[in-house]
Amino acid sequence: MRKKIFIVGLLVFGLLMAGQAFAHTPLCSCYDNGDGTITCEGGFSDGSSAAGVEMRVLNSSGNVLIKGRMNEDSEFTFKKPDGSYKVEFDAGPGHVVEVPGSEITE
Amino acid sequence: MKKLMFIFVGLAVLFLSVPAYAHFQMLYTPEIALEKGGKLDFKIVWTHPFADEHTMEMTTPVAFYVLSQRGEGKVKKTDMKGKLKPITWTGKANSARAYEASVKVRSMGDHMFCFVPGPYYDKHEEAWMQQITKTIVNVGGIPGNWAEPAGLETEIVPLDKPYALWTGNVFRGVVLSKGKPVPNCDIEVEYINHDVLMDKNAFARSNYVEAPQDAFVTMTIKANANGEFSFGIPRAGWWGFAALGVGPEKEHKGEKFNADAVIWIKAVDMK
Repeated sequence: MRKKIFIVGLLVFGLLMAGQAFAHTPLCSCYDNGDGTITCEGGFSDGSSAAGVEMRVLNSSGNVLIKGRMNEDSEFTFKKPDGSYKVEFDAGPGHVVEVPGSEITE
Repeated sequence: MKKLMFIFVGLAVLFLSVPAYAHFQMLYTPEIALEKGGKLDFKIVWTHPFADEHTMEMTTPVAFYVLSQRGEGKVKKTDMKGKLKPITWTGKANSARAYEASVKVRSMGDHMFCFVPGPYYDKHEEAWMQQITKTIVNVGGIPGNWAEPAGLETEIVPLDKPYALWTGNVFRGVVLSKGKPVPNCDIEVEYINHDVLMDKNAFARSNYVEAPQDAFVTMTIKANANGEFSFGIPRAGWWGFAALGVGPEKEHKGEKFNADAVIWIKAVDMK
């Protein structure tokens, strides 16, 4: 009986902890450097760093053209693809931000 | 002779009854919670933002820079003094020299603009005045250094994001002089009571609200023993806070000198 309560307690605790980790919102914004490259900046609404977050650049048919990670300054620079594209900032399930290439300007 | 005396007394009363509205160093740009980076236009005016009864002549500014930080990243300082251009600002009563600046901010995060005007001699008070002013802009919702001191001689450090306030929120701050809280100081609060006409370098003539009495024009509040204050924001728009005479310097050119710490906030209606 005790053990059961303990397990339930542990589960509830785990759930609460997980909830806390999702209390912030992922944020990402990109701009055209005007030299054929694009820079994306990322972060979270609580100010925490996005260093190491996976970044993907996809073409209109959904194929990954470029894959990389946010650097220690939470920035990611890539060569601007030809044609239409979108950028994905992937900080895990429920934490993906999509930036359409058409919204990326100088 | 008696008539002359009468006129003289009348005039004296008239002058004396001119209410002493608060001076405010405006560091204004229309929007401080931006979706994306871009060009920001500042109007830097030395005025009385509620009543607009007198615009004061600015002297050459001492400093204008921005401290930018995204999340936990490094704080970056960018000097903006070279961007300042003199303009003539037209208020209800007169015109006077003011400044404008067109600057670019790109990065997401906080951009803390700091402006140190040249000292201004107030004949009425027979003292020099200087209002060291901060306006904090955010791009994209990532917070940065908004709650950190800029390291100014005197400043108001916000305890609530000055760019993310709904009407009815409370705005809190701490008054610092040389980095230390100033207990029990006086803080004047004023509302920008007119449209700011960016392309005309003027205030619109019509007021948003009428004050029922002079104590509502410049509201004076007190900091507590820890130098903290709070203010409930009753209306959307721009509110200025000036902590009076809190700067460490007390003398300039052999005369009394008052350095005030000013911060601007913008509240938005929930709709």
